[in-house]
Amino acid sequence: MFSRIFSRVGLLAVPFLALVLAGCSKADLQVRQSTLDPKGPVAQMQYEVFMDTVWLVLVLFVLVGGLLVYAVIRYRSRPGDSTVPVIEEGHGNPLVEIGLITASIGALVFIAVPTLSAIWYTDDIPAESVPKSKLSAWYGAPGLDKAVADQVLEIDVVGKQWWFRFEYPQFGLTNEAKHSVPNEMVIPKGVAVRINLRSEDVIHSFWIPKIAGKVDLMPGRKNRLWIQADQVGHYYGQCAEFCGDSHAYMLFRCEVVEPAEFAKWVAAQKADAAPVAPGSKAEQGKNLFAAKSCVMCHNVGGHFGAGAFAPDLTHIASRKSLAGAWLDNRDPKAQLAQEKSSPLGTEASAPVDRATLKANLIKWIGSSGVSTGADGKPTKDVKPGNRMHYYKMFNVAGLRETHQTMTADELDALAEYLLTLK
Amino acid sequence: MSHDTHHAPVASKLDLAPERSDLGLYRPDRTTGLLDWLTTVDHKKIGILYGAFAMFYFLVGGVEALAIRTQLARPDQAVVTARMYNQLFTMHGTTMIFLGVMPLSAAFFNFLVPLQIGARDVAFPRLNAFSLWAFVFGAFVLNASWLFEFGHLAGWFDGFAWHQALTYTDFAPANGWFSYAPLSGTFGQANAALQSPRFTGVGTDFWIIGIQILGVASLAASFNFICTILNMRAKGMTMMRLPVFTWMTLVTSFLIILAFPAITVALIELMFDRQFGANFFNPSAGGQPVLWQHLFWIFGHPEVYILVLPAMGIVSEILPTFSGKALFGYPIIVFSGAVIGFLGFAVWSHHMFTTGLGPVPTAAFSLLTMAIAVPTGVKIFNWLGTIWGGRVRFTPPMVLALGFIWMFMCGGFSGVMHSSAPADSQQQDSYFVIAHFHYVLLGGVLLGLMAGLYFWFPKIFGRMPNATIAYIGSGLVILGFNLAFGPMHYLGLAGMPRRTHTYHAGNGWEQWNLVATIGAYILGIGVCIVFGNLVWTALKGKKCSNDPWDGRTLEWSLPSPVPEYNFAQSPVVGARDAFTEHKHGSKRIAYENDGGDAGVHMPSQSWMPMLAAAGFLFIGFGMPMMSMGVPHAGWIVITGVGVLIAGIWFWAVEGPGGYMLKTPVEGPAPADRPSAATSAH
Repeated sequence: MFSRIFSRVGLLAVPFLALVLAGCSKADLQVRQSTLDPKGPVAQMQYEVFMDTVWLVLVLFVLVGGLLVYAVIRYRSRPGDSTVPVIEEGHGNPLVEIGLITASIGALVFIAVPTLSAIWYTDDIPAESVPKSKLSAWYGAPGLDKAVADQVLEIDVVGKQWWFRFEYPQFGLTNEAKHSVPNEMVIPKGVAVRINLRSEDVIHSFWIPKIAGKVDLMPGRKNRLWIQADQVGHYYGQCAEFCGDSHAYMLFRCEVVEPAEFAKWVAAQKADAAPVAPGSKAEQGKNLFAAKSCVMCHNVGGHFGAGAFAPDLTHIASRKSLAGAWLDNRDPKAQLAQEKSSPLGTEASAPVDRATLKANLIKWIGSSGVSTGADGKPTKDVKPGNRMHYYKMFNVAGLRETHQTMTADELDALAEYLLTLK
Repeated sequence: MSHDTHHAPVASKLDLAPERSDLGLYRPDRTTGLLDWLTTVDHKKIGILYGAFAMFYFLVGGVEALAIRTQLARPDQAVVTARMYNQLFTMHGTTMIFLGVMPLSAAFFNFLVPLQIGARDVAFPRLNAFSLWAFVFGAFVLNASWLFEFGHLAGWFDGFAWHQALTYTDFAPANGWFSYAPLSGTFGQANAALQSPRFTGVGTDFWIIGIQILGVASLAASFNFICTILNMRAKGMTMMRLPVFTWMTLVTSFLIILAFPAITVALIELMFDRQFGANFFNPSAGGQPVLWQHLFWIFGHPEVYILVLPAMGIVSEILPTFSGKALFGYPIIVFSGAVIGFLGFAVWSHHMFTTGLGPVPTAAFSLLTMAIAVPTGVKIFNWLGTIWGGRVRFTPPMVLALGFIWMFMCGGFSGVMHSSAPADSQQQDSYFVIAHFHYVLLGGVLLGLMAGLYFWFPKIFGRMPNATIAYIGSGLVILGFNLAFGPMHYLGLAGMPRRTHTYHAGNGWEQWNLVATIGAYILGIGVCIVFGNLVWTALKGKKCSNDPWDGRTLEWSLPSPVPEYNFAQSPVVGARDAFTEHKHGSKRIAYENDGGDAGVHMPSQSWMPMLAAAGFLFIGFGMPMMSMGVPHAGWIVITGVGVLIAGIWFWAVEGPGGYMLKTPVEGPAPADRPSAATSAH
């Protein structure tokens, strides 16, 4: 009797599975961090190897699973069957065993070959990609250093709790030179880029699912990978190695642009911040930036140059995200409309929205490391455990501990100042 | 040394006069009730205690899992804080592996191995009790970190200077069950007091010492089982006649004694980093964080097989019983189990494909990982061969065993997918991996262990669980499990990373996270029904016969519940599946009256194993308290070491003791035997 119930339940599973499959659409495979929607050769290669394993496994699943279901139904005990077990020593059948082992090994060779070729392919830039990826081949803007013209673009990625710092040493965009890029990297379309990975505290992992699988940022060790994106757009990345309290908030973005755009972007990043208008609210904010000790960790090119520990704020108002890319500076409605109007698979992005950015800045600064907010109520850090404790800065320097908070007006002024840093 | 302990034979130990040990103290032999359970050296009682503690911690780990799923049900939720979430998944993983699955497997080892090989107890009964209590105290230390955490959140410690001096105030571990250095370790330079700055609070110290104590328990138990299986088999019980479950116990025990030293060393190094200013894993002082990963995973991967092989053994016992047919390919199942154990030490770096090993080691570990699929597949083929041509009887253990094969097969398939390093670089640390190992460890191992519980419960308690409730509970477990973990394959491929306490809407992860949470609650209800069914059965269930399933191995030839001396007379085995051959075939089990008129020699009970293990309790609390900066906490550790040494010392000098029990020699040894002819001597 139970076997009947058993097969009925099995039959019920069929419409359920059909329902699940019907619920899947192409859009589900193209979500922001989908690994099933590769947009570059590295992710493409990883996707193809994955699909090889999927096909192999599906065949095995149907074969072995089918045999199992068949055996259980076919050999179920029926009323009237003898209850005496078969007496035998279960040696098995050597031919069957050897055949199945050989078949298993053969099946594994089917995935082992593409696996091996993909391991070496993803390890370093393939020789045929190097000529077209050299800076001299695509970086059209003047001022390219002769020493680097023969190299491919290299980006140094530094992981910290809980944000990524991007440096472009070939263009002098480094933390040392007070021109680093936090949270949002920019790469040119269609050329191979070498990424050097290191960490300044714990282990992090660099992952942009649509462009390449992850590689860890190990403290005390240099790792690397190469990437290439073949479609312009706004890509979503995330730290994939557990790195402490706010690991979930350690995201980043990768903007893929046309090579000509890239040169413009480099020039813009090297520019210092414009002076603030005298007597404006922004100037009041600039003074607060120094008075509230923000200056001790943050660099603002052209205004303040002491900070090297925290994200460079020289161009903060031009970035589409804040706080390790957890807070989005684009107008959410505009972004939603953009994603809906664009054809599936293109990574459309709305521009930075001033009001959203300002709200994010106030939310971030107003809560970080402060026990009470401007309204006198206790606040929760946007990123718990983050290092931005401006009210304790003097303590760190060993001078004295000052517990300061910011008034709503001060917060507003500081945000106004940061909004001028485009 | 003379033992005046060999009293005149009687039927019950309670009839004996009180006995003094060589220390001059009374032994706790003549006791019943709680005292009996605390001092027992009977492998069956120890097995039941292991099982009870394991089921309790399954529920604890399950509550932690439900808290995790509740937090993730919707995007941007704040049911728990980020740190609490990290503590929850750390303790969930650690609890399920070390306090759930391993002790539940140990419960089966303890209860079954001596019965299956025709022995009266394990080789070292007091060491067995020591293993149990070391596990109990280690588990308590690990979970006591929650008590400190709640105390901290409630503000109990606020007035203390040491508490005010803490930089990090996580008291329950928040470093993941893998505790990657340097997050779990130190950075910068040590100060004059040999203290380096750390990334986490004392939760990590609780975790380190807790796992260390549990490791001692596992190691002691494993040596015990290896000695038992190799030396205490009944006459005629050759290695190739051993029941497969016993074989898998042997392989698992070897895995434990070879794998745990690696984690023991790693934990000591990490403890020295954190508490004594060493720099094994501190990158800013030249240490190597990747060293921790190698040490951890060369333990951690065999650990996976430590968890899986016992369940495979259980299923290999259940399938032949309910297929009415011997296990297909017994030698190759045994051999593939050993090969899995061996290869298990050669694949650890597939947990580290993203750490930048370089292409050659990545390729090597990729191929070796694929290779381990072969012996695993062989097992599945042979289970299939066992069913093939049999007469499959559907009972709760059989349905759960079939569920084990199905779910384990699915988990194995996704395992093949990330054996390929390029594919794994997209899947590693994503929800795809969570789906994979929950199919292996929950759909596989837990279903296998549940099958074992339903299978042997009638033997353990002499009572039969209600089949209808068993089917309802198991059905909910299987349904909820697939709802919870099936969608995680998609979530992982859609780019959702593990160990993140929340996520934004807009990434396409919302609906399947909600489905997974609903599934997790259904799973939770199912587990509660199954455990409730079992507990009720143990206390009040319907009595059943000694051999309700037509069992194949020696334990079914014994009365249920099994008498404390197991075998009134020692069996002499003539075949594999000895009891089936005895009942239905030509090769009968013979019995020899090895004790003569003196009766059966029984081991004496003792307080010493528990006393020695209690030393771990002090050490387990003292080390983290030292790390907290609690004044004079070092004395607690020293006290613990003293208690441990005293326990071992008294254990050594109290003497082994032992007494004789008169057993019903001519009585019904194998109760369900169709013919009584074989008991003639």
